[in-house]
Amino acid sequence: MQTSIYPLGERALVLDPAPQAALSWALQSKLCWIAEQLRHLPSVEEAIPGMNNLTVVVRESRHLKALQAKLDALWHSAPTEELDSRTIEIPVSYGGEAGPDLHTVAKYHSLSPEELIKLHSQACYRVFFVGFQPGFAYLDGLPETLHTPRLATPRLEVPAGSVGIGGEQTGIYPLASPGGWQIIGQTKEVLFDPKREHPNLLKPGDRVRFTAVEICL
Amino acid sequence: MIRLDSVNGLASIQDLGRQGQGHLGVPSGGAMDRYSLILANRLLGNEDNTPAIELASGSYELTFEAPSWVALCGATFEAKIDDRPLWHGWRGRINPGERLTLRGPRQGVWGYLAILGGVVVPEVLGGSGTFLAGQFGGHRGGRLASGDSLSIKLEAKASFSRPVGAVHRANDGILRALPGPEMSLFSDQDRKAFWHYAWTVSPQNDRMGARLTGESLDSAKQLSLRSHAVLPGVVQVPPGGQPIVLQADAQTSGGYPRIAVVIEADRWKLAQARTPQAIRFQHVSPNQVEDANLEWQHYFYRLARAMDGS
Repeated sequence: MQTSIYPLGERALVLDPAPQAALSWALQSKLCWIAEQLRHLPSVEEAIPGMNNLTVVVRESRHLKALQAKLDALWHSAPTEELDSRTIEIPVSYGGEAGPDLHTVAKYHSLSPEELIKLHSQACYRVFFVGFQPGFAYLDGLPETLHTPRLATPRLEVPAGSVGIGGEQTGIYPLASPGGWQIIGQTKEVLFDPKREHPNLLKPGDRVRFTAVEICL
Repeated sequence: MIRLDSVNGLASIQDLGRQGQGHLGVPSGGAMDRYSLILANRLLGNEDNTPAIELASGSYELTFEAPSWVALCGATFEAKIDDRPLWHGWRGRINPGERLTLRGPRQGVWGYLAILGGVVVPEVLGGSGTFLAGQFGGHRGGRLASGDSLSIKLEAKASFSRPVGAVHRANDGILRALPGPEMSLFSDQDRKAFWHYAWTVSPQNDRMGARLTGESLDSAKQLSLRSHAVLPGVVQVPPGGQPIVLQADAQTSGGYPRIAVVIEADRWKLAQARTPQAIRFQHVSPNQVEDANLEWQHYFYRLARAMDGS
């Protein structure tokens, strides 16, 4: 298979093998493995997976040619086994002050709040990569019946730990920040702490389950 | 110690940023105008990456408890050490108990106050700079406030005894850039508008990104892309058609079309461009990127020659 690699600026390459194909965990697993190998190279500054793509920044532009060859070699030598996966439970308080948009989202899908919570917490999600904010995990697996448009006007501040739905995705805000997702609940888990040895709670490959510890209708 | 008697503006500790943390969602961060930070540090004989104080518009008063040297670069703040002036682009000696006052800037956006030996702050995730949105790094993870005290490296000794100054490079507002991965997906008309028209820096210009206003580039608004990593310098075009140029504290991933990438040698120009300054993009080749980097190498080489024996 011919790998598709293109430059981004003066010292980065993007490996984007299948931009049109359906989202694939096998491909993501392979890209994360390649990123891990590249991070050990002294010439590599960053190796950042996206959704089925990988961006690699080298320290100097003269390293780009070697990187291109390295990417090609790693692509062809990557193991077929998928990344190790842990299951992480995220306890969530749904509704009430913790989830101000719970009723709006339920109404949008003609569901009762209880049915919405059941659907959201029964699904199993997979972390594809961490990006946007420190510790923000891009999760795959939101049931189609819960896909919900973002808020027309984003909130100026969403508290840390807020669990939301934005379009086809669900996720947890690690930091207090402005946000346009529909907030259905909140977790007390700390998604990002720079003082921990591993600052992020979630990493690529993890399976995530939300458990309802409190429901406020 | 340095006592911050009064802080009326956005001031934070910054260095040259973090590396290798992008996959954790942690941006590189660091000084908005890296070259001005390097210049201020070199005037004092500090390492390039030594943490300094980055200052935005406002007024500041600092008292030094121990003798030191300071250098002020980047945006042009008016500065005085007690009653004597500290010229922009110069280093100056400061005695115990003397007060440094800064007000401005007249030109530019971000000023850099470097101190001999540097400000001492704990390293977090491989950097000393403050990531304001994440509330970590720098001085207790936040902006500096009146009443704060900063530690400085006291064992640092000056290898010089006279003030010296450097002329800053002029900001012509021309951002040299390479076409981005999605450039070809825009219409001819949009591509022409991007390269040939002037863009205005909007008031939404912060450490994360600068929004530009001008022609609407809407030929790619239907484009749906998978999320991908983004880096400082990337020019994104959201569905509204007005480009955003990502800066030091930008989010690590995005999904808007990447129309271009501003070269590293010119990113400081946008950081220092004030609303409603006009900027333009200039299409360059990879060879011209090398030339642009050489311009900076020559600048610092001439500085080193001029400072020899000072």
